[in-house]
Amino acid sequence: MTEFLTSTGAVAAFPEITLALSALALLMAGVFLKRTAYDLVNGLAILALAGVAVMVFLADTRATAFNGAFLADEFARVMKLLALLGAAVALILSTSYMKAHKLNHFEYPVLVLLATTGMMLMISANDLVSVYLGLELQSLALYVIAAFDRDNAKSSEAGLKYFVLGALSSGMLLYGASMIYGFTGTTSFPGIAAALANGEASLGLIFGLVFLIAGFAFKVSAVPFHMWTPDVYEGAPTPVTAFFAAAPKIAAMALFTRAMVAPFPSMTAEWQQIIVFISIASMALGSFAAIGQTNIKRLLAYSSIGNVGFALVGLAAGGEEGVKGVVLYMAIYLLTTLGSFACVLAMRNASGQQLEDVKDLAGLARSNKLLAFVFAMLMFSLAGIPPLAGFFAKYFVFMAAVKSGLWALAVIGVVTSVVGAFYYLRIVKVIYFDEPAAPFIPAAPEVKWVIALSGVFTLGFVLFPGPLLALAQAAARSLF
Amino acid sequence: MYYLIVFLPLLGAIIAGLAGTSLGTALRASFASPGGDTGHHHDAGHAHAAHDDHGHDHHHGPMWPAYLTTSLLFVSAILSWFAFVGVLHGAETVKVPVLSWIHSGTLSADWSFRIDTLTATMLVVVNTVSALVHLYSIGYMSHDEHQPRFFAYLSLFTFAMLMLVTSDNLVQMFFGWEGVGLASYLLIGFWYKKPTASAAAIKAFVVNRVGDFGFALGIFACFAVFGTVEFDALFAAAPSAVGKTIHFLGGDFDTLTVICLLLFMGAMGKSAQFLLHTWLPDAMEGPTPVSALIHAATMVTAGVFLVARLSPLYELAPNAQTFIVVIGAITAFFAATVGLVQNDIKRIIAYSTCSQLGYMFVAMGLGAYGIGMFHLFTHAFFKALLFLGSGSVIHAMSGEQDIRKMGALRPYMNVTWIMMLIGTLALTGFPFTAGYFSKDAILEAAFMGEGNPAHLFAFSLLLIGAFFTSFYSWRLMFMTFHGTSRADQHALEHAHESPQVMLVPLYVLAIGALVAGIVFAPFFIGHHEGEFWGSALFRAAGNEIVHAIHDAPKLVVWAPTIAMALGFGLSWLLYIKWPDIPARIAAQHEPLYKFLLNKWYVDELYDFLFVRPAMRLGHFLWKSGDGKVIDGLGPDGVSARVVDITNRVVALQSGYVYHYAFAMLIGVAALITWFMFGGAH
Amino acid sequence: MPELLKDYLPIVIFMGVCAAIGIALMASSFILAVRKPDPEKLSAYECGFAAFDDARMKFDVRFYLVSILFIIFDLEVAFLFPWAISLKEVGLLGFWSMMTFLGVLTIGFIYEWRKGALEWD
Repeated sequence: MTEFLTSTGAVAAFPEITLALSALALLMAGVFLKRTAYDLVNGLAILALAGVAVMVFLADTRATAFNGAFLADEFARVMKLLALLGAAVALILSTSYMKAHKLNHFEYPVLVLLATTGMMLMISANDLVSVYLGLELQSLALYVIAAFDRDNAKSSEAGLKYFVLGALSSGMLLYGASMIYGFTGTTSFPGIAAALANGEASLGLIFGLVFLIAGFAFKVSAVPFHMWTPDVYEGAPTPVTAFFAAAPKIAAMALFTRAMVAPFPSMTAEWQQIIVFISIASMALGSFAAIGQTNIKRLLAYSSIGNVGFALVGLAAGGEEGVKGVVLYMAIYLLTTLGSFACVLAMRNASGQQLEDVKDLAGLARSNKLLAFVFAMLMFSLAGIPPLAGFFAKYFVFMAAVKSGLWALAVIGVVTSVVGAFYYLRIVKVIYFDEPAAPFIPAAPEVKWVIALSGVFTLGFVLFPGPLLALAQAAARSLF
Repeated sequence: MYYLIVFLPLLGAIIAGLAGTSLGTALRASFASPGGDTGHHHDAGHAHAAHDDHGHDHHHGPMWPAYLTTSLLFVSAILSWFAFVGVLHGAETVKVPVLSWIHSGTLSADWSFRIDTLTATMLVVVNTVSALVHLYSIGYMSHDEHQPRFFAYLSLFTFAMLMLVTSDNLVQMFFGWEGVGLASYLLIGFWYKKPTASAAAIKAFVVNRVGDFGFALGIFACFAVFGTVEFDALFAAAPSAVGKTIHFLGGDFDTLTVICLLLFMGAMGKSAQFLLHTWLPDAMEGPTPVSALIHAATMVTAGVFLVARLSPLYELAPNAQTFIVVIGAITAFFAATVGLVQNDIKRIIAYSTCSQLGYMFVAMGLGAYGIGMFHLFTHAFFKALLFLGSGSVIHAMSGEQDIRKMGALRPYMNVTWIMMLIGTLALTGFPFTAGYFSKDAILEAAFMGEGNPAHLFAFSLLLIGAFFTSFYSWRLMFMTFHGTSRADQHALEHAHESPQVMLVPLYVLAIGALVAGIVFAPFFIGHHEGEFWGSALFRAAGNEIVHAIHDAPKLVVWAPTIAMALGFGLSWLLYIKWPDIPARIAAQHEPLYKFLLNKWYVDELYDFLFVRPAMRLGHFLWKSGDGKVIDGLGPDGVSARVVDITNRVVALQSGYVYHYAFAMLIGVAALITWFMFGGAH
Repeated sequence: MPELLKDYLPIVIFMGVCAAIGIALMASSFILAVRKPDPEKLSAYECGFAAFDDARMKFDVRFYLVSILFIIFDLEVAFLFPWAISLKEVGLLGFWSMMTFLGVLTIGFIYEWRKGALEWD
């Protein structure tokens, strides 16, 4: 057994293996305990995520496993930590909700663990095969939890749509991967880079690249591969949506970044064009479509489409600066989004029903000052208003774009963020200036904690930006 | 001492303005310490406040701001008299620095006082009249709820006026100039709930802007030509500019003439000279003490003061001087004719003021600066007296201002009648009253002006003006105090003599109106004239006009007095003897009557030429320019487009999986097409 | 054309043969068969009876469940055959890999068993 581990270099993948084994163990524990399973499995799952996070944090970087198909470097470490954080917070947020809605099945935390395992694999993937493996492991679990509220038509619809479109995108990805394999003769990222290093890229290879990017764009929900996002976000149970908006986005963006930068440095001009296009399209659509929304979850779905567009600005810029922007953007986006969804979870009326309409927030400032304040701060942050965290996120990606000469992209980004500011500020206006609607009942304690911490981060980032900036810098450096 | 003179009114304005308002009341209420530090005024304020709490309809602010500002003004006034007496027998020009103000490039304007005879004269006039008006207002404004605000404005005005007259450079003068304009605007519109008052305030402000535009251009021109705005440097440099030209409005003109005319444009606005006079009669919408202070005695004479102050420039620009004479004469004549037929007691006096300002400008244009200043000095007394007297009448008649609804009021208010009589005598130039010395001197100077046809023109207009002045002044007296009563019976029941607090200022002004001429004539225009003015006024070599008037023919000397007597006689005949004749004359010469009654249709002309086109332009820019173009393409248009786009984008989200899949495939197809046909790779 | 793609040439030939045979069979029946359609012939055929119901009716979800569960083990067997043949070559690493795979599948099997997914009622 030890020989098995050493010969494959599986030590580098130890955190992932641990997580996978925990998931299996918890599945067994849950299925044998039956009645009281949910609380125990949920708690242990959160513990497992925390433990794996510690392992990731302490692990050696720049180690490969499975013949180079798996790469654990600084970039992977930072992104994995973010993904684990997103998953853990999503699980924490779900606790009360799942019980209140009779969804407290132990499968949920297990599925989240499996999805997280997939994400970690995606983040560390250094080979088209492991890319696909990680992606599918993550996606299959996500399809299921999207439809987790299976008696609810919307939730089922969300799961089904996600599954069908996800299968389509997987098909595209696989087709693209096979073409790339066909033209380079290898699936390993360094191998592809080496094969492409000399000579002009053929049109067929570009075809493969387009299909590959289409698959990734679907996972990060970039326009025009975003269509599933609003429906799935709205239909899935709110904690699931929070999870969707947080961890998988991190993983997909990390994968997207690595899969562009590592194997295709010689085709930068090509993929940059595609990413500029989907970035602009995402920013524009995210901003414009969100204006028309009345459902806050749908609105946040468009917001996340727009945010992905902004993060892609960093990727389009490329280079260390650009990747640093992406990492920083995703980190800030993660924390802000989790806080926003925690706020949405806090929207419960007197009978304990979950509210999702923007106008239910009316006059919140008068019934719950603190919640209103944090919500407003999060919205300001998403709108990119200084000195909140969201401003710095946008600032770094735009700076990267400007430095690599993508002036037009930066300008369009700024313009769309102005349009986007409209709907964020509309929420603030509704909270502070509209006639009060019925007040909410107090939020669950864990939701309160998440809201508070997210608020502290959003407000406090400007004071202590150093650690996060240093992490992002180190992560970016390891990719080049 | 000069600091006190200038800054005491400012202090009063600030205290009354801040502490006298509800803010101050609230503050004091929070400190509610009985027997407070401001003595019995404080208690009086409290007593009134307590009154208000019980819901009496006599609501007015605390009294102490009124007392405070008045006391401060009296201190200022007394100090001014000391300063004035100090310069009676020759004075050097004193400069008192206050602050370093503007230093930008080569432009430097420091805030300092320039004290010479001219300034001292103005200090006396301004502070004396202002102090008396403050005192008078305590009585006149006793029923007004915004009393503290009123006194704050009055004191603010006084400060601004003092800034103007003590200025040592054109920029500082402009500051004071605009300051009085502001205070005038605030005071005309003091009763801001009255639409006519607001309109009059705006009119005064806007018309003055026209003049101020010229003034500002003049200052710019001074700086452009001479590189300085300091008076001393300016005066020293002026002779070097004689005969040179300046490029202005596409043509080359004599430098000094252009500068002087531009500066005179400011003076025309402020002193309500013909063409820019329209605001002055309307300004009578303000409280009467304001009319007395600002629109008779002080602010409107700022233009005269400006010309006197800049005499070294004007002396070198004879064309500008001629222009001033003509404008002054036309104003004097025009305003007098209009004054003949007005029925509003204050408007009559307002046109009289306008007319008298014309006299002063004629003197200035003639180079007889001392005479002009002397008329300014005496005029301040008797015109303030007339205004305050008419205020007393209005106060007694519960706000009635139409003299057709008065008559035979003498029994009700004997003191006021005497005061008005003295004022009228002084205005019409009855021998040995103040006006006799100053106004007659102007006429003589106009006659003696050597050889310039404009001067003779001015003389004849002024002589006719003197006749008209006498006529309308006596008409006012007769229709108000004599003849048969046409008053509203209800108003008559309340008609009463004014309180002492209002009468005392009248006494003081009456003394001034009677003796100011005889006492100060030797200094201003007589034998001590040279040493009195010292270096304050400049006269070009050969300008001997002040001495020339002593050689005027006897007939010329007597002409104004004869004109006055004729005016009195005609007035007596028409309004006492045969009171039905005026109406018949008016009916017979209806076009002329209407022409005069409507003030030569100047307002209508302006309305047609400027106001309506401006309104049309404004309306066009507002509706089409701003509303349609800027809002339409700007905020409204953009937001409408955003909503359009949003609606379309939202419509894309149909909910059908095959639409979504189709979008994905279209996306891929588009990207591939791009790379096949257009892509750069 | 890289060397790599030449390895896939037999597959392409195989696919071509498959397609040719399939098309040939369908086309031949099309060309050679005698067609005389009448209403009886065109109606749905159900064991000699007239059709009871619409053919597109709902099935019990359990049919799907069973088929899905079956597919997993079907795939497992599909993996096991090549593994068993090449066990000598893949060595210990290959052996343990398959054991891990089987272990994971077993856990899945235990789960579905405990959940009662294998019981029809």
